[in-house]
Amino acid sequence: MAAATQAPPAAVAEPAVAPGRGATARTLKAFKASPATYAVLLIVSAVFFVPLILMVSIALASDQTSAQNAFTVIPTEFLWSNFSDVFTATGLPVGRFVLNSVIIATLSAVGQVLSSSLVGYAFARLRAPGKNVMFVVVLATMMIPAQITMIPQFLLFKELGWVNTYLPLIVPSFFSNAFNVFLVRQFVSRIPSEMDEAAQVDGLGYFGIYRRIVLPMMWPILTAIAIFTLTHAWGDFMGPLIYLNSEETMPLALGLQYMTSTSNAMQLPPWNLVMVGSIMLTLPMIVVYYLGQKYLYEMNVSVGSAGVK
Amino acid sequence: MAADLGAVLGAARAQSPRRAGGRRAARLPRPKLSRRGRTEARFFWLFISPWLVGFVGFLLGPMIASVYISLTEWDSFTPPVFVGLDNYVQALTGDPVFWKALWNTFFYAAVSVPLGLAVGLWLANLLNKKVRGRKFFRTMIYLPTLVPLVATAMVFKMVLAPSGPLNDLLGVLGIQGPDWLLDPLWVKPALVVLSAWGAGSATVLLLSAMNGIPREFYEAAEIDGAGPFRQFWSITFPQITPIIFFNLIMGLIGAFQIFSQVYILTQGGPDNASQMVVPLLFDQAFGFYHFGYASAVAWLLFVVIIGFTALAFRTSRRWVFYETEVR
Repeated sequence: MAAATQAPPAAVAEPAVAPGRGATARTLKAFKASPATYAVLLIVSAVFFVPLILMVSIALASDQTSAQNAFTVIPTEFLWSNFSDVFTATGLPVGRFVLNSVIIATLSAVGQVLSSSLVGYAFARLRAPGKNVMFVVVLATMMIPAQITMIPQFLLFKELGWVNTYLPLIVPSFFSNAFNVFLVRQFVSRIPSEMDEAAQVDGLGYFGIYRRIVLPMMWPILTAIAIFTLTHAWGDFMGPLIYLNSEETMPLALGLQYMTSTSNAMQLPPWNLVMVGSIMLTLPMIVVYYLGQKYLYEMNVSVGSAGVK
Repeated sequence: MAADLGAVLGAARAQSPRRAGGRRAARLPRPKLSRRGRTEARFFWLFISPWLVGFVGFLLGPMIASVYISLTEWDSFTPPVFVGLDNYVQALTGDPVFWKALWNTFFYAAVSVPLGLAVGLWLANLLNKKVRGRKFFRTMIYLPTLVPLVATAMVFKMVLAPSGPLNDLLGVLGIQGPDWLLDPLWVKPALVVLSAWGAGSATVLLLSAMNGIPREFYEAAEIDGAGPFRQFWSITFPQITPIIFFNLIMGLIGAFQIFSQVYILTQGGPDNASQMVVPLLFDQAFGFYHFGYASAVAWLLFVVIIGFTALAFRTSRRWVFYETEVR
């Protein structure tokens, strides 16, 4: 976390020279920062930062402090051993949780990247009767809230014997999703098509053009899709809650909730270790975001003016 | 899902001029498909087949099934019993918890979305000034949005504890804080506080929109003697209304689907004071195996979301300003 605050991530789009901030130009009134501006920003930043500090502070607290709810926002204890205890002292296979998260998130991302690049390419480049109708259907499907299909999907996967396996969380990714198809389609539409036409003249087939010409140029948007899918699958709670009920298959997001509820009624959950788990859940997202922010920007451009976190 | 719809909104707009201009001067006008055209069409269907199969298998099929299930009483172990519209009638007239959940969801959406936008707008406007350490402040405000919801919920269980940091802070200001998650009156505001922590994503989007406003507007306004407050309402705000609108729609859709926070922090309690529509649906389906009733609730939620989205679009004509309309 310290690294992330030092370096400057965060913005979705940042023009090189922002208006009102030119080196030579006089600062306009509207852009003058008064001491009050700084005071407000400092206070707000501090308030926004408190929960994060608290997460770290509790993660470093002892079992006693944790059990007595005697945390402080600024850490006073530094039990780094909690970071290894979390794997052994909870009676839960936390290492396995992490592995499950990695498997689910990675395979979902692979599935989305493969399928949406293929489908998006077809929508951007190939011509066929009925294509426009199909594209309207793609857009329309984005309006359907997940709750509508949730129950029939569950019954379907139960029928297939997929409950308590990763499959219900991974397999749908290999059939692409409308939003990602749309992103790829927008992105590919912006790539000039001279290259594919030349390749076609040289006798390359449609799959060859996709594989050798377009796919190599798509990687910025595919990286963005991978990050988007990865973060979504990593943090997903409801999906695992519906489909996974054994400790062996549960991802970390669900495992954390499990950790707070399995201890017997007399005993408080081990909040210090739960917070260590929360940090383990959070840190990879910050790293992924930091490494990938320029591709997320790409995604914003591709979508149009609108932004996507 | 929330992101999905928003993107379509943005895209529909971004796309329309291009569509009007004809895309990539079509290679050949085609009265009838040539052999090559037929091959191309075959490849098109082959390439989109993953989506097509997924669409039929995971969306269209389940949607149709959902309509049918909502008209039955079904626990998935015994055969479904067709009951007509009984489930809908039951939700709307016979189940006080449904109305309570719907009201709570309304409340949550109606408070958290405008509040998030107001905070985002306020912070973006501050950050748009010539501030030293701007990136630092922006990072601090954005960082919380990267925290997965489950981790956020875990931390806020601590933040909102009766003797937690939030009440400590209020104590410093001389206010006796409530018991937040344990108090029927304060449990919804507590969830709103949690959502406000994520105001950074709106802030960053609004800030990048503000960056795109031409400086000349402000120069002209300053010569005309407009103060900063007037400049904000007459220049900044109208210029970024499309992004505000986008955030409003996305926020509403997301707020109506709130689930994880409620499930982890309150389980709908105390006394259903924080029960919301999706957690209710989840309990009915996966707790009590009332799949018919839960499906009916899902469709009712869909109607509510569509209704509010349509309402937002209708009012948008009055306050959302698109640059292209002027040119």
